[in-house]
Amino acid sequence: MPDDFYKKLAQAVIDGEEEDAVNLAKQALDQNLDPLACITNGLTKGIQQVGELFGSGEYYLPELIISAEVMKSAMEILEPALTGDQEIEVVARVVIGTVEGDLHEIGKTLVATMLSAHGFKVFDIGVDKSAEEFISAINEYNATIVGASALLTTTMLQQEKLIKNIKEAGLGDKVKVMIGGAPVSRKYAEQIGADGFAEDAISAVDLAFQLADAPV
Amino acid sequence: MIKLEERKASIQPIKSKLKVSILDDQEISQINQNARTVMEEVGVKFPSEKALKIFAEVGANVDFENQLVKIPADLLDKYLATSPRSYTMAGVRPDLDVHVGSGEGTYFYCSGEAPKIVDFETGERRLSLKKDTANHARIADYLPIVSLLWPSVSASDKGVTSPIHGLEACYTSTEKHVETESIMDAVSARYAVKMATAVAGSEENLRDRPTLSQLLCCIAPLAQDRGGIEAAMVFAEHGIPVGFMSMPTLGLTAPPYPAGALTLAMAETLSGIMLTQIINPGVGNYISVNPGIIDPRTGVYFMCSGVAQITNVGGIQMAHSNGIPSLACHSFGGSQYELGNWQAGYENLYSHFLAVMAGADMSFGPSGMYEAVSLLDHPRILFDREIIQVIDEISDGMEVNTQTLAFDMIKKIGQHGSYISQKETAKESRTMWRGESILYEDGKAEGRKWRDPVDVAREAISWILDNHNPEPLSPDVKKELRSLVAAADVDEDLQKEVLGR
Repeated sequence: MPDDFYKKLAQAVIDGEEEDAVNLAKQALDQNLDPLACITNGLTKGIQQVGELFGSGEYYLPELIISAEVMKSAMEILEPALTGDQEIEVVARVVIGTVEGDLHEIGKTLVATMLSAHGFKVFDIGVDKSAEEFISAINEYNATIVGASALLTTTMLQQEKLIKNIKEAGLGDKVKVMIGGAPVSRKYAEQIGADGFAEDAISAVDLAFQLADAPV
Repeated sequence: MIKLEERKASIQPIKSKLKVSILDDQEISQINQNARTVMEEVGVKFPSEKALKIFAEVGANVDFENQLVKIPADLLDKYLATSPRSYTMAGVRPDLDVHVGSGEGTYFYCSGEAPKIVDFETGERRLSLKKDTANHARIADYLPIVSLLWPSVSASDKGVTSPIHGLEACYTSTEKHVETESIMDAVSARYAVKMATAVAGSEENLRDRPTLSQLLCCIAPLAQDRGGIEAAMVFAEHGIPVGFMSMPTLGLTAPPYPAGALTLAMAETLSGIMLTQIINPGVGNYISVNPGIIDPRTGVYFMCSGVAQITNVGGIQMAHSNGIPSLACHSFGGSQYELGNWQAGYENLYSHFLAVMAGADMSFGPSGMYEAVSLLDHPRILFDREIIQVIDEISDGMEVNTQTLAFDMIKKIGQHGSYISQKETAKESRTMWRGESILYEDGKAEGRKWRDPVDVAREAISWILDNHNPEPLSPDVKKELRSLVAAADVDEDLQKEVLGR
């Protein structure tokens, strides 16, 4: 019985059916099903399959993002019901944002969505975020990976500043910094001391797995 | 790159919502009137005793000594009236039938019959062989954008029966409709009819669903080819559609004006059509105008000039104004561009775009040709395909209705939002991004190295040649074709007919 229920949850994520997913999540709590099992065996399985469908080219970005939003909506119902000793298994905790002075959002959001779909716990702090705001989020969410996006040649300099500030804050050993954005290159990443560079959302996932030292 | 996978042949006409016309009704009428006056007063040369007698019997003014036929307009129109505006050119399966003039859109040919090929293995430029024809027919069979085909190259290893061998190579390699343009004598035509009959199953089937058609090039100005017109009469007798192509070279074999060139084109093609309708009322015809100019500095023939495009679109309108289907022949491997030249790309784009917008019933196109249709390079057909796919997309135009105006969505998203997570976006992204490119692969993340489309095309062609092996005919029919071709090879009459000309 729960297996069928998990499958329905997974399917709602795969189909991008927000109303179904939310209703199922509420139903799960009404029926006293284990919320962690619903997340792990239902929602996560669904989003993993969505990631695979995207990777194989069958799903496009809109489907990926819709599914991620459906998962988020269902999580908002299930997560508060977790008991104190229950913890969702995550690959790593990631803080992601666009650097100060830069309002570009889409690329950063896609990376966040892809990482979420692959089992990372992602804290998207938004756009135009200063180094201080990044560092504060790292501490608040206990993140081990930081993703910093910049789309302008003028704002990419903020990525260097962020890395410098992270080191100065004594977080250099704790967090790995990955950077991305149209003007950024692998060479630039090496030059400013970033731990990695990804060209798109798909390679960002591979990179994050490497930085988390976890199997892909 | 789309996944290449095993599949059965299919065809894909392109219907354009966008329209273009060069001539208005009055101009069309003027050209039609002019062409009829030319036919009546100047005449068209038919160097065939049989054709001259047929014209004389129905009341045309025939000068046997000069092989000249002058046709009164009312007589012409009487016979044009039986030429159908729509008919079928049959494939092996009904779902591969080309419904000429049905309004389903423009059907694209893989055509050419070039004498040379770029050897796929060695890259050497050499004379083409029968096996090359078969290979290219398999490639054309695999690609839905090709609806019907010619032998793409000559079987230079087969001598005077090369056109017959070309037909055999096509019939055994594709399920799609096959057309000949190189059978230019009555004896070869009779062999071709027997082959087409074998493929169709019976003479009756052949009349009902012709598995063969002929394109005959007229000789500009105002003449027909003896062997070609005699072959056309044989084909028409058996219900095989005959298309006529006029090739006016403006300023050389035609007046230096598109209107004058179209006048000649109509006189040449309509007089030929009249002959086939006298022989077999109701047999299918089409008109193709393939205009060119010469480079005035060198005299080199130049197929894809702007003035030729205008003349060609005008030719489509002129054919339709006479109730005859049209075959657009803008470029299909066009002018003097060389391998990989950028000119190949832009000529293909605008010429085929004009063809579909002008409402051509058929068009040459995805053929793989270079150098004024004298050189075939297998991978090039995939570049042709790519361009025609884009034309397919653009020619759809746009829809404006409550859904597409999207007011509710705009209101919902408001300012600074994104439409990417809307279900309608997910659905529409399938049509906005068709993802049907064979040539352009996704960039590899590591180092982002995009592959040269030429390399990708070569891989795709290799895959098709390795994996796509249609078996359109039963062993018995194949055997019958083989024995017919073998008989043609030793037919002395055929040798005399071809070599004697």
